[in-house]
Amino acid sequence: MGILLYFALLAAPATAQESPKLSDAEVASVAVIANQIDIDQARLAQERSENEAVLQFAQTMINDHEAVIKQATDLVQKLGVTPQENAVGKQLQANAAKTAKMLQTKSGAAFDKAYVDNEVAYHQAVISAVKDLLIPESENEELRGLLESIVPALQAHLEHAQMLQNQLNEK
Amino acid sequence: MKTLKLLPVDLSLLGLMLLCTTFAPLPKPKVHTIEISQMQFKPAALVVSAGDTLVFVNKDMVSHNATEQSGTSWKSPTLASGDSWRMAITKSAAYYCTFHPTMKGEVKVE
Repeated sequence: MGILLYFALLAAPATAQESPKLSDAEVASVAVIANQIDIDQARLAQERSENEAVLQFAQTMINDHEAVIKQATDLVQKLGVTPQENAVGKQLQANAAKTAKMLQTKSGAAFDKAYVDNEVAYHQAVISAVKDLLIPESENEELRGLLESIVPALQAHLEHAQMLQNQLNEK
Repeated sequence: MKTLKLLPVDLSLLGLMLLCTTFAPLPKPKVHTIEISQMQFKPAALVVSAGDTLVFVNKDMVSHNATEQSGTSWKSPTLASGDSWRMAITKSAAYYCTFHPTMKGEVKVE
């Protein structure tokens, strides 16, 4: 919810009735940033968690989101598009910095719970943002296709995070 | 009392029938392809014969594996995008991807 709100508010034009406008270069930049944020948070989990299931999940997040970034980078190079920094991406990074700061104050089971809770919320927000904003905003067919192909992976990550969340809550 | 007399031609036919029954060729093992795409095993449920071959082909951009549910029977190596792996199947099994545990499949051996 939060991230979708940032996307919508920051990219919104003067009237709330119109669709927010992002160029393909901006969509590509936001997509890379959103993936990089999850990689950075997974690296933090690798530093601070001792829970085997959480560590394995974090490694999967690193592997999968790196693969997505590689696909996105290859595509923008092929299309001759230079990802363009924008307010949406900057806001995402600012929020990620706050989350990282919060996570760094925690350890042990409290860290695991906070990290996994954040992964559930983050993936829910990113799925909504990709489906409801980035895909409709993409003009290039291949960029749109790439974003569409990412959604099942994000959905699998969300379900995995929810499974972990249930396991941690049972303890 | 009558005795059954078999002519040489009858014996030949009998021998041929026995030969066909004894050495009838076994059904040829089949190869079944399981495509991994959009974070799913496709088909997720498969019925095969003992000795058939399963081929897992990863068409996703992320890596996967196929691991028998108990983790003790069989497990594929990590399959990067574009990789494939084959195995002969002899026992029914439920399997999943250890990287993405919500991805599941099942093979029934009849």
